Amino acid sequence: MKVLAALPRLQLLGAAGRNEAAATVVAQVEAPAKIDCRQVNFFYEDHQALFDNNLEITRNRVTAIIGPSGCGKSTHIRIYNRIYELYSGQRAEGEVLLDGQNILDPAYDLMELRRKVGMIFQKPTPFPMSVFENVAFGLRFYYHLSKGELADRVEEALSRAALWEEVKDQLRHPGTALSGGQQQRLCIARALAVEPEVLLMDEPTSAIDPIATAKIEELITELKSKYTIVVVTHNMQQAARVSDYTAFFYQGRIIEFGATPKIFTQPAHKKTEEYITGRFG
Amino acid sequence: MKPRSAVGRRLINLAVSGLAAASALLGLLALAWILSGVLTRGLGALNWSFFTQLPAPPGVPGGGLANALVGTLALTLLATFLGVPVGLLAGVYLGEFGQQSRLAHTTRFAVNVLMGVPSIIIGVFVYTLAVIPLGRFSGYAGALALALIMLPIVARTTEDMLRLVPDALREAGLALGAPRWRITLAIVFRAARAGLITGVCLAVARVSGETAPLLFTALNSPYFSHSLGEPTANLTVTIFNYAMSPYPDWQQMAWGASLLITLGVLTLTLLARWSLRERPR
Repeated sequence: MKVLAALPRLQLLGAAGRNEAAATVVAQVEAPAKIDCRQVNFFYEDHQALFDNNLEITRNRVTAIIGPSGCGKSTHIRIYNRIYELYSGQRAEGEVLLDGQNILDPAYDLMELRRKVGMIFQKPTPFPMSVFENVAFGLRFYYHLSKGELADRVEEALSRAALWEEVKDQLRHPGTALSGGQQQRLCIARALAVEPEVLLMDEPTSAIDPIATAKIEELITELKSKYTIVVVTHNMQQAARVSDYTAFFYQGRIIEFGATPKIFTQPAHKKTEEYITGRFG
Repeated sequence: MKPRSAVGRRLINLAVSGLAAASALLGLLALAWILSGVLTRGLGALNWSFFTQLPAPPGVPGGGLANALVGTLALTLLATFLGVPVGLLAGVYLGEFGQQSRLAHTTRFAVNVLMGVPSIIIGVFVYTLAVIPLGRFSGYAGALALALIMLPIVARTTEDMLRLVPDALREAGLALGAPRWRITLAIVFRAARAGLITGVCLAVARVSGETAPLLFTALNSPYFSHSLGEPTANLTVTIFNYAMSPYPDWQQMAWGASLLITLGVLTLTLLARWSLRERPR
């Protein structure tokens, strides 16, 4: 119901097409997009997985990416931090502008990119070390910090991930000993510790229980005041609950993009409607 | 369609599981037989002088294998220092960096072949490499031969163990911006630690019982060696010589040495198992 109440305002903010938005929202001065994807194509060896993706990710908002399995949702966000480069044979073409700079340019500093763009994975991935060391891992190679500063930054990150109260007495315990939901928040804390600007979440709640999921959704809503968030999700209720904008992917193409309430109440495309109403996917 | 008879199916099931169990028992029996034989015959030889004195001529009471004991320890230790680092690094290359490259494929093939080379051939090889040019048998040559046997074992187990570490962990490290070497050292090695220790233990256990490669390299000596630059006494070649001698007291010594090596290998194997044991997470 909350979503419906927010509908009119959101409809003004976003829109199905960029031109339409500019036309209808005259008073609204839109800040330039945090991430601007232009004509992005992606290949696994010879197989093309993404086709001419154009997408603008708005600053300090949550953008959800939905679509059936294998439609390229994860592939798409894995371009934003160039993590696909771990595997030879995968390549991206086109432009992805982060604050106006093309991150696909080989000259773009990868370490700096990955500091600015954090990523949370489907399964929690705590490193085989203590809770404290997990969070300190990134801090240690980005900054020169004294012991005290390091401890402060770790506490701050854990607090922001709403985990500090639960783990403050077990900082020396292995990160793998936490529950699934706690592990996922540990991973969020680890990503937040290095002061990113964008958070990519690749189905962050698909491997954890409903209560832990609710906590993470709450956290996403809190975090958007400070970060730009992109969430890939299979769960349409989740997309409706947490996101401001939604992009619907199908067979590697972006079929529809717009304000979440609009996508969920008046989708412009038949495919979107079919997917949202559960007729396929 | 005529159903197959349930009785026939049960009979075949019984026969197959019976055969499998009998084969398993046979393996167990062989081990128990060897252990009990070595234990009953060797235990009598183990006394204080066995561990502290030099070998006595046949017929002279007393005497021991202190020199061979020290020699075997020194040879195995040096071989471990030579073989393990190289094997470990080769395994890291195969599992983390080379993966599907041409060099990796060639190396993997070479490692497999090297693992299958009979140890006596390694011995002869090192003989032409290190014994003939220097003009004498030496402990160094012996350690080199043992290291060559360890190398492929360590490389293979290292690669296998590193591959068991899920890619999700590497991706999580990369997503934080960590350089590849850091991910290997700080995350992958820790996650695979138990397996790596096991591999090293098994490799040490394997070479500590090798005789053939030492026959052509370290040879043997009735004295304490002042350095590994001269022929070096060791347990396995001593067993080989003493067991073939016509003197009952030497044969008794050979049993004692056999028991010692068997216990050593057993300890290493148990250690390997212990390091791999399921830990509560």
